Amino acid sequence: MRKEMLTGNAAAAWGVRLAEVDYIPVYPITPQTEIIETLAKWISDGVMDSRYVTMDSEHSMLTAAGSASATGARAFTATSSQGLLYGFEMLYAVAGWRVPLVMVNVSRGLSSPITLEPDHNDVLAARDTGFLQIHCETCQEVLDSILMAYRLAEDERVLLPIIVNLDGFYLSFTREPVAVPDVEQVRNFLPLYQPKHAFFKASQPMAQSAAVLGGSSYSYFKYQMHMASQNALAVYKEVCDEFETGFGRNYDTIEGYMLDGAEYVLIMTNSFSTLGKAAVNNARERGIKAGLLRLRLVRPFPVADLKAAISRKKAVAVIDQNISIGKGGILHSEIASCLYNEKHRPLLLSFIAGLGGKNISPDEFEFIINKIVTGVDTEDAGTAQLIYTDKEWQEMGRLKRMAGKG
Amino acid sequence: MYRLRFHGRGGQGARVASKVLGTAAFLDGYYAQDFPLYGAERRGAPVAASTRISEDPIMERGVISAPDIVIVMDETLLQDPLTMPVSGIKQGGIVLINTAHSPEEAKVEYKITAQVLTLDITKIGLDMLGTPILSTLAGGVAARIVGLSEDSLRDAVKKILSEIITDKRLLDKNVAAALYCFNAITPAKIELKTTDTIKKKSTVISVPFEPATVSSPAINATGNTPLRMTGNWRVFRPDWNYDSCTRCMICVARCPDGCILVNEDGYPYTDYDNCKGCLICVEECPTNSLGKVREVHTKKVIGK
Repeated sequence: MRKEMLTGNAAAAWGVRLAEVDYIPVYPITPQTEIIETLAKWISDGVMDSRYVTMDSEHSMLTAAGSASATGARAFTATSSQGLLYGFEMLYAVAGWRVPLVMVNVSRGLSSPITLEPDHNDVLAARDTGFLQIHCETCQEVLDSILMAYRLAEDERVLLPIIVNLDGFYLSFTREPVAVPDVEQVRNFLPLYQPKHAFFKASQPMAQSAAVLGGSSYSYFKYQMHMASQNALAVYKEVCDEFETGFGRNYDTIEGYMLDGAEYVLIMTNSFSTLGKAAVNNARERGIKAGLLRLRLVRPFPVADLKAAISRKKAVAVIDQNISIGKGGILHSEIASCLYNEKHRPLLLSFIAGLGGKNISPDEFEFIINKIVTGVDTEDAGTAQLIYTDKEWQEMGRLKRMAGKG
Repeated sequence: MYRLRFHGRGGQGARVASKVLGTAAFLDGYYAQDFPLYGAERRGAPVAASTRISEDPIMERGVISAPDIVIVMDETLLQDPLTMPVSGIKQGGIVLINTAHSPEEAKVEYKITAQVLTLDITKIGLDMLGTPILSTLAGGVAARIVGLSEDSLRDAVKKILSEIITDKRLLDKNVAAALYCFNAITPAKIELKTTDTIKKKSTVISVPFEPATVSSPAINATGNTPLRMTGNWRVFRPDWNYDSCTRCMICVARCPDGCILVNEDGYPYTDYDNCKGCLICVEECPTNSLGKVREVHTKKVIGK
């Protein structure tokens, strides 16, 4: 093992290299392209033995990746935002094939207006597809999660594809120290994929992905996928334990930060959680018993772990870095549904923040934490609120005037 | 923790400078994080990069809004209202400017309240590398200001550059230039107090509804691109010698930005307000009637 400064994208590429992936179909998109460029260079330099193919679109790319996976190859691909949506049809198709493809999504806000920086509407749009989802906070976690993802996806109790998510710019282009494990160590953790259900062998022909009509077969196949995804919760724990034994790093389905003894909890995902943790430290200095829960496994949704962690807290604020237009924060809705039938449940507040990579400053976190505390005092969760500052509103006014909007 | 922000133009090396610094700090045993931010990926566009160096794990991400140190790799950015390189600089912090000006001149000219250091990094780049790509040089300057070791700087330059160039001689020249810059400045002491941020607290507001005439992402104003002069991006200006010009017009055809016009006598001339100094005209001129002269003066960004 050695440690070096890597971007989130380079860490992703290292995960793919160490997983000794067979086949990588690609299509470029900012802020993901560095991943496939890095892999291309390694393959060209002869330090990585994989088949690398440039495709004509994300739709073709996902089809190729899923198909390769259905022949029994270990496949990888990566995309972001508009690209994920362009290939969207194939997400459902590939998941239905029950193949263990691992894909990285580098989160980026969706058009319109077009932008480059991250929020999670792209990856959360894929939440119903059958792909499992692991969301990462650090560059180290990106590398490690790719290794864990192959183990989890290839497990016979699961056999569903996985998206490993990281934030564009804030992680994809941010370098921080990353421990790169030795390939031997990784081989012990992640043995060769031995497909039993979907492979390509002349002596054993099969037709994959049959058409069905009438609904009963369809229902059967879809519900089997759901149960496989639910199985992944227990399998994930085993993978997590084995990963910790091998590499000394623990990644549970959720991560608690100062959660023991906390009365007020922030729930976040991905790289902005680092800022949330700093805000928790600040709140603790002010004598407020704050903590943070970071959702790492978003599909399957870790309902039991989540309930155990927050049902007896005073109040929880879900900070959604996404917006379901016409409803509000996506994760807020999901968490609310977990808690509804609980005897003890916290006051649940909803905030929308960090859309399109908008920074969440310490002042804004302080506002959120104060809102939680007053919410408990007044027993009023209020309505969902966009976190937006007076300075940003002034700047928006300046831009509107520049654009000729009066 | 030290928070540094590099400001340069696309192609100048701000991103790589922040990486050189980050790796040097990492090799010196610190926690480090570096992060570039750029919009359109084109040469000449403003680029910022942030580097954080700390003895403890870093609980911050993204752009540094209140830096301790700012490295201005292109002094024309100091007058760019959209870039504002020294914004947020802490009292007692350090601004290093790549300029031929003295620190006193630069401090007055650009109305900077923080401490100012100056070094003509472009000249060093031209002398030692033969090109105004300043990544390793700016990295060297920054490494000195934050007090990193010469050995780590050397190793960092080698590591970062070997990932992007294969020319061993150019790599060695970069190492030499980085170390030259490292030793060319006597850093001021950073005199930060913990309570030195003077920024106003920001208040969270409720955003009101506005009709789609305002809230759709359409631009109703007429185009203002012509107001944005690009001539201040130049490192070199094309210099005309009309004695040998044959009015062949190859330069006019080859200029990628339409910045070579023709006067009443049929001679081509440069629109210096907008010429970015790519020097394709100098390369293309069959009679060698075009030379190059280094720009050392700054100009206003927005038209007069």
